[in-house]
Amino acid sequence: MLFFLLFSPIAAALLLFALPSLRARYAVAALLFGLLSATALSLFFQPAATALGIAPGIGTLIEAADVVLLFYFLFQGVKHRSVPVLLLALLQLPLYLWAVAVTPAAASPALVVDDLARFMFLIINIVGGAIVLYAVEYMRREKSGEGKQRLFVAYLMLFLSVMNAIVIADAILLFFFLFEMTTLASYLLIAFRGDGVSRRNALRALWMNQVGGVFLLLGALVAAYGPGSATFSGLLQGDGGVLLLALALLAMAAPVKGASLPFDGWLLGAMVAPTPVSAILHSATMVKIAPFLILKLAPGLDGTLPGTLLALFGALVFVAASYLALSRSLLKEILGYSTVALLGLMMSLAAVGTPESMQLAMALMLFHALSKALLFLAAGVLEKDFGLKDVEQMKGLVQRAPRSVSFLLFGFFSLTLPPFGLFMGKLFAIASVASLLPSQPWLVIVVTGIAVGSALLVMLYFKIAAALLATAPDTVPVQREIMPPGFMTPLALLTLLSLAAAGGYMVQQHNSLLWLLALPVLIMALLPLLTRSLQRFDRVMPYRCGEKSEFDGALFYVEPSAAAARSLQWGFGLLFAAVALSGAVT
Amino acid sequence: MKFFNAFRKKSPWILHYNAGSCNGCDIEILAALGPRYDLERFGVINTGNPKQSDIFLVTGPVTYRSRERLVELYCQIPEPKVVIAVGSCTAAGGVFRGMYNVEDGIDRYIPVDVYVPGCASSPQLIIDAVVESLQILERKSKAIETPFKLFGAVETVAGKLSRLGMAKKVTDAED
Amino acid sequence: MSLVMILLAPLLGGLVYGAERVLRARMQRRQGPPLLQPFYDMFKLMDKRTLIIHAPHALLAVAHFLLLWLAVGALFAGWNLLYIVFLHLFALIVLVLAGYSVRSPYSQVGANRELAALAAYEPILVLLAVGFYLVAGSFDVSAILAHGGYLAQMPLLFAALLIILPIKLKKSPFDTVEAHQEIVGGVEVEYSGLFYEFLYMARFLEYLFVYGLVFLFAGASPLWGLLLVLAVFLLVNLVDNATARVRTDQMVKIIYATAFTMATANIIWISL
Repeated sequence: MLFFLLFSPIAAALLLFALPSLRARYAVAALLFGLLSATALSLFFQPAATALGIAPGIGTLIEAADVVLLFYFLFQGVKHRSVPVLLLALLQLPLYLWAVAVTPAAASPALVVDDLARFMFLIINIVGGAIVLYAVEYMRREKSGEGKQRLFVAYLMLFLSVMNAIVIADAILLFFFLFEMTTLASYLLIAFRGDGVSRRNALRALWMNQVGGVFLLLGALVAAYGPGSATFSGLLQGDGGVLLLALALLAMAAPVKGASLPFDGWLLGAMVAPTPVSAILHSATMVKIAPFLILKLAPGLDGTLPGTLLALFGALVFVAASYLALSRSLLKEILGYSTVALLGLMMSLAAVGTPESMQLAMALMLFHALSKALLFLAAGVLEKDFGLKDVEQMKGLVQRAPRSVSFLLFGFFSLTLPPFGLFMGKLFAIASVASLLPSQPWLVIVVTGIAVGSALLVMLYFKIAAALLATAPDTVPVQREIMPPGFMTPLALLTLLSLAAAGGYMVQQHNSLLWLLALPVLIMALLPLLTRSLQRFDRVMPYRCGEKSEFDGALFYVEPSAAAARSLQWGFGLLFAAVALSGAVT
Repeated sequence: MKFFNAFRKKSPWILHYNAGSCNGCDIEILAALGPRYDLERFGVINTGNPKQSDIFLVTGPVTYRSRERLVELYCQIPEPKVVIAVGSCTAAGGVFRGMYNVEDGIDRYIPVDVYVPGCASSPQLIIDAVVESLQILERKSKAIETPFKLFGAVETVAGKLSRLGMAKKVTDAED
Repeated sequence: MSLVMILLAPLLGGLVYGAERVLRARMQRRQGPPLLQPFYDMFKLMDKRTLIIHAPHALLAVAHFLLLWLAVGALFAGWNLLYIVFLHLFALIVLVLAGYSVRSPYSQVGANRELAALAAYEPILVLLAVGFYLVAGSFDVSAILAHGGYLAQMPLLFAALLIILPIKLKKSPFDTVEAHQEIVGGVEVEYSGLFYEFLYMARFLEYLFVYGLVFLFAGASPLWGLLLVLAVFLLVNLVDNATARVRTDQMVKIIYATAFTMATANIIWISL
């Protein structure tokens, strides 16, 4: 089963090159989606703890591959004259070799399949599979050669196996290798269109992610010298003076991957890439490494100073990124910032470290992956079929593109309203963190952060939803939108999956409150039935003080001043550094 | 229905529109709405929104520029509605009568129910006009006699009954 | 008992609103409308010809009313306070969507302001729920009402609630959301007849919702609760008559600078 998850995407990618026709591409992607999601589901529901070792030969091979990868980064730095990339690659190379040299021989297996990994399989394979399916249709409309399109889909498939591997990697250096592989995927896919902007943004993504790699390596070194452990599980069991520093350093890689505030630039820049990339890497799966890593380390960080600081950091990122999202007008950038915000929330909950809050963080990850993938894919349809990127141009779009807009609206609702997981996640998160307040008063920042951040996100989502809905009187019939099945299938799948996940969550939680949540939904669901009976009322034009001119309302934006934005970046940078320092101090 | 008619008189909401007045009458209207004369004791609210108003309180002799807006606003007030022309110029042009840019009274464009004299009119007269217009409002409501139908349910039932040849019975019952 | 209260909620709210109109008139030394005026308005609106812009717009008003009723009902029935706060948020979001869904300048500006106001007061309502939880040990309203001594433990949260009350009740100095003189009522501008009535009745429910929150501060003794509500009722109307309207951005800044800070400080104080 496990090997299937790891290697079938690779096989599918190879198959793509063997079978040249477009129809075959659809078939391969659909097959892959079906098989992967079935495997992930069966693994999830029939848990059996597995631990696997890696043969020494393969281990050496991976080490060699890693060195090659780092040299590739170095080469890219030289080729594109990017000083940060060059310097960081030069820093990483000796650090990596040093770490390899001092890391003790693996006493414990390098791969461990625990509950968290099985849960991540669900997100990666189901959501990722749906996105790959979508990518086939999307790339068909891209103005690029046949070979390049196929290459793109193959990259995405390969990426799935990397992701499947990273969640079970227990050896720190193996994790580092896979972490850098995702960085490479980011770099290649952002630069995919090959123009100047893409190249520049890809390089920025590269060096920012390299910073995360450096922290991982430092963590591995400290772990090797201090507790003398080469794996995460060994590290969490061991104790030693510098254990906390190792954990803190490893955890620092998470905010970088999660594009938390001082590093938010790379995720925003990544939005120039084709939409499936934004969906799979930058919202649904890859950035989920951030909360995943914290969840993995949470047992060691729970209740310590770095853990608390990380929780506060995440909560503040949630607020700040939601606030910054209000200043954007491109749909994908708005979605990107809200991803940054929600990742902050997940990291915060993971770092709080109680079993309840960790479970909430996981629930948030699942629901966020489904909703955000849906939103990004719908945004991609608007971009490809309607040429729309800016929400200002999307006023009243529901009359022109009813289907895409329905999907978008569903996405926004599932991110904010009951009975969907994110709503419940926030609700329970407040309740669960509030119960910790008497013992840890500083978590009040997390509580207020969730409260303010959710209010800001509601503002953000409904601002956009509203722009889509702003329509003239319904005397004109709504146009029919023809959406190709290649777009329709993944979108519908994701919608059904979020509904199913919400239902499953409700059943699984055994919380009477959840059933109460069904009441408002029932009200909302029954009302449209009355639409027909409204036909008897006369329609009028809106009130414009007696004037007859058409009106187009403006959306509101919040524009932080340059100084405020700068101090925000610096503030978060300092807080980020404080997390590492606190590990060193305690 | 009779039940609802009883309340129409008790809650007249007004829309005040200045169709080119010198503001003399507008000030008097505001005085009538203010604490001293307290028009609100009759349930009057100055809504400023035609869609929620019952009484259209117009001042000024209708200039060229404002006549289209006047008609537009009048049309946006849902029935039943009453128009009150406040001041001499609103009735017949007043001191502006015959000027090139003035239309000599609003009744050229919309039907007026109550005329209030005076240049400027006084709050007492305006209150009197509003109270007078309540009678007209009641009469008009009766004339329209739209039964209250929640989402057409009543109408559907009535329609079905009428197909069964029971139409007369239903109308009798409604009266 | 609570079921009867829930069913009669709009009626009760209407009485509060009627009493308020009389009180405001008396404060301005005039006679004012009769106590039952809101109900006269209600019945009149039922009889008016109804004009609508489009079906979703009209239906969202109904949804807003029903959801708000559900929120108030949940408060009376003693459900989870946090859930009630979020339900209330849901109801408001529906209203915002309604405001945006028509291409009307006043409606859209009103919706913008509604959202800004939402971002200002929503966190405080959440913190209020957290405060009650910390003192009473439960989010359930029924459990909160079984305890007492909230005013002594969370005076700053009470003050924060007082500060945001004018927004919820659409009163000066924080009535920019409605602002009849500039934006003709904001989101409600495009409604008429039957559907305006739903919004009109939603306002009654809003009264019950906020005064219900005030009532919670008295805890176990209903008599003190009623006195507290009465005092707040007088205070809010006094402030309404005595102040002028501030701008929306000023409102948000004021709320965050005062109410939000006080609420956070109070939470820290309780949990220490």
